Amino acid sequence: MSSSILRTANGIIFPLTLLFALYMALKGHNMPGGGFIGGLIAAVALVLYRMSHGPDAMMRLMPVHPRVIVAMGLGIAALTGVVPLVFGEPMLRSIAPYISLGVGDPVHLPSALFFDVGVLLVVVGVSVGMIVRLGEEVEDE
Amino acid sequence: MTDHRIILLCVIPLAAGLISIALINRKALSRLVGILSYTLMLGLSLSLLLKITAAPDSESILVSQMGGWTAPFGISIVFDSLSGLLICAAAAVGLGAYVHSFSVISPVTERRYYHPLMQFLMFGVNLSFLTGDLFNLFVAFEIMLMASYALLTIGGSKAQLSQAYKYILLNVLASTIFLMAAGMVYGMFGTLNIADLARIVAEHEAANKELPAGFKSLAVMFLLVFGLKGAFFPLWFWLPDTYYTVPISIAGLFGGLLTKVGVYTVARLFPLIFASDGTSTILADGTMLGGTSPIIQTILIVAAAFTMFLAVLGAVSQHHVRRILSVHVISQVGYMVFGIAVMTGNALAGCAFYMIQHMVVKCALFLCCGVMEKHAGTDDLDKLGGLLKRDWFLGVLFFIAAMSLVGLPPLSGFFGKMVIIREGFFEGMWYLGVIGLVTGAITLLSMLKIWSYGYWNPDQAPTTNKPEAVKASCKPAYAAITLLVVCALFLGLGAEAVYKVANRAGEQLDNPKHYITAVLGDDAYAKVDELIDERIAQEPAGPASADGESLTLVNPEEEATP
Repeated sequence: MSSSILRTANGIIFPLTLLFALYMALKGHNMPGGGFIGGLIAAVALVLYRMSHGPDAMMRLMPVHPRVIVAMGLGIAALTGVVPLVFGEPMLRSIAPYISLGVGDPVHLPSALFFDVGVLLVVVGVSVGMIVRLGEEVEDE
Repeated sequence: MTDHRIILLCVIPLAAGLISIALINRKALSRLVGILSYTLMLGLSLSLLLKITAAPDSESILVSQMGGWTAPFGISIVFDSLSGLLICAAAAVGLGAYVHSFSVISPVTERRYYHPLMQFLMFGVNLSFLTGDLFNLFVAFEIMLMASYALLTIGGSKAQLSQAYKYILLNVLASTIFLMAAGMVYGMFGTLNIADLARIVAEHEAANKELPAGFKSLAVMFLLVFGLKGAFFPLWFWLPDTYYTVPISIAGLFGGLLTKVGVYTVARLFPLIFASDGTSTILADGTMLGGTSPIIQTILIVAAAFTMFLAVLGAVSQHHVRRILSVHVISQVGYMVFGIAVMTGNALAGCAFYMIQHMVVKCALFLCCGVMEKHAGTDDLDKLGGLLKRDWFLGVLFFIAAMSLVGLPPLSGFFGKMVIIREGFFEGMWYLGVIGLVTGAITLLSMLKIWSYGYWNPDQAPTTNKPEAVKASCKPAYAAITLLVVCALFLGLGAEAVYKVANRAGEQLDNPKHYITAVLGDDAYAKVDELIDERIAQEPAGPASADGESLTLVNPEEEATP
């Protein structure tokens, strides 16, 4: 499928959706949102890109194969969980310090953020991987 | 006692699985990572188990609260004697099946994420054994099942896919019921923490207060779910065909591990929580003996009897080694359910012992079957023969494992069956004891069937494989089987040492106080103690009768009615 309307529109929609995904992922610590939802929105952006620019163009956007993204995400999440063990704390213990940047309000940076990033990567990897696989079958016929 | 290291038993396989995704095309390195992970798990669980066995009662349960959120609000991870025994056995079985697979699995299969899947399976299994939270148990089941779906279909032959379809459908159904039941538990009690649930039930028991309406139906729902995973009568039908189609090492791992996870959850949840009927008896020394709901106990007794007996008849009628072994998995599960149905501390200890010995022995038998297939090219008993002449070492290993399964003294099965059947007779369940003995005799018959057709039969199997060539290509398999048979021999000859741990596991299951105070803190049991004291004070004759007899305290309301 090739539609110049969709391709042109996607030039605006794609970056906006990714930005929204990032926003949802970041605000998720104390409010609705989080890595899972952010990951889903990012995956939607990628699927739309695949519709407008074709499967090869989307795969070029991915730095590595989706399954590697899944593994990386799981690794980051697991690592976030394990680090407290080194300090004699229970697994997944998180700290939430306010870090001052010198200007403006101090930034609230919970260590659970890294866990959320891991979740985000897993969700993006799984959804994109599944859609790639499902798409392959249809195009072969 | 708090010990944060216990979660490493889940982190190790997860990490090893992730590393082997990165090493997907490096065969030797993936295998090394896998072996290292299983060995680490085995070492860590053994050292923790030895530590809690040496510790006094108050420090014999290790707990870690995830994220530092105190129970019952966070997720508790609990390592007690039962979990410890099962995790040790699971790691040994996993190591055996994994090493064995090096000589039977095809290189193509190995590249299809075989190594990570084996690790993720262990992650799910260990988490199921460790978790102290019902919802987390659901998650652990799902992790384990996802890995098992993928392992079932690995290679993707037509027979495998058609079996896996049924397996997945059934398990999705069971998981849905599990989720609904967990939701209802939360609605009923406002908590999903197993220790907290046990506390609430114990308080009801101590006050002789009726449990909420629907508690029994919840118990039945859980029994349905875990019975399906554990292959209890009549929910066993999926098992024989499923295990028949997968690569033999994976069948060994599944046969050893997966049903035991179902049995374990019943052993964990039912004596502590779901088998209760909200009444109790106060013994002379002030301890409380929780009442058992007759309905649940009847279901367990019927399940145990039919699982043991019908499955062993099914096994003896089969003519393929794999099928005999698969159907035997079910029959042996019956003994464990028998132990749970009796529900005394000793019977539960016997059940724990039987579970670990069965994991090891059953996996060893499946692995032997793998080498037999290598020799003869088939597992059809009509076409097998002369294996003892070709390969006496395999014969010896098979014989020891088979006799351990049957339960010939001094091998491991004997000590499991003896304790369970003896407790059955003590508790007035002589019919189950008799069925257990008959089942043991028929088990012997079916094992002798494999032995005499396959090994003793002088006719050589019509095969072109040279015995030397098979032996040379199966070196890892022999190592794996030897490892498991040595474990089985240890369980038999060192039964007394193992029973020290198993008895404590039974005691911890029988008396909820240990588990509750370990997870929730010492104050959590105070209200139960108070209620018990109140009831003792109400008893006009005073609590301690001289001869140590148990005395039943009647409900004050009943007393008032003329």
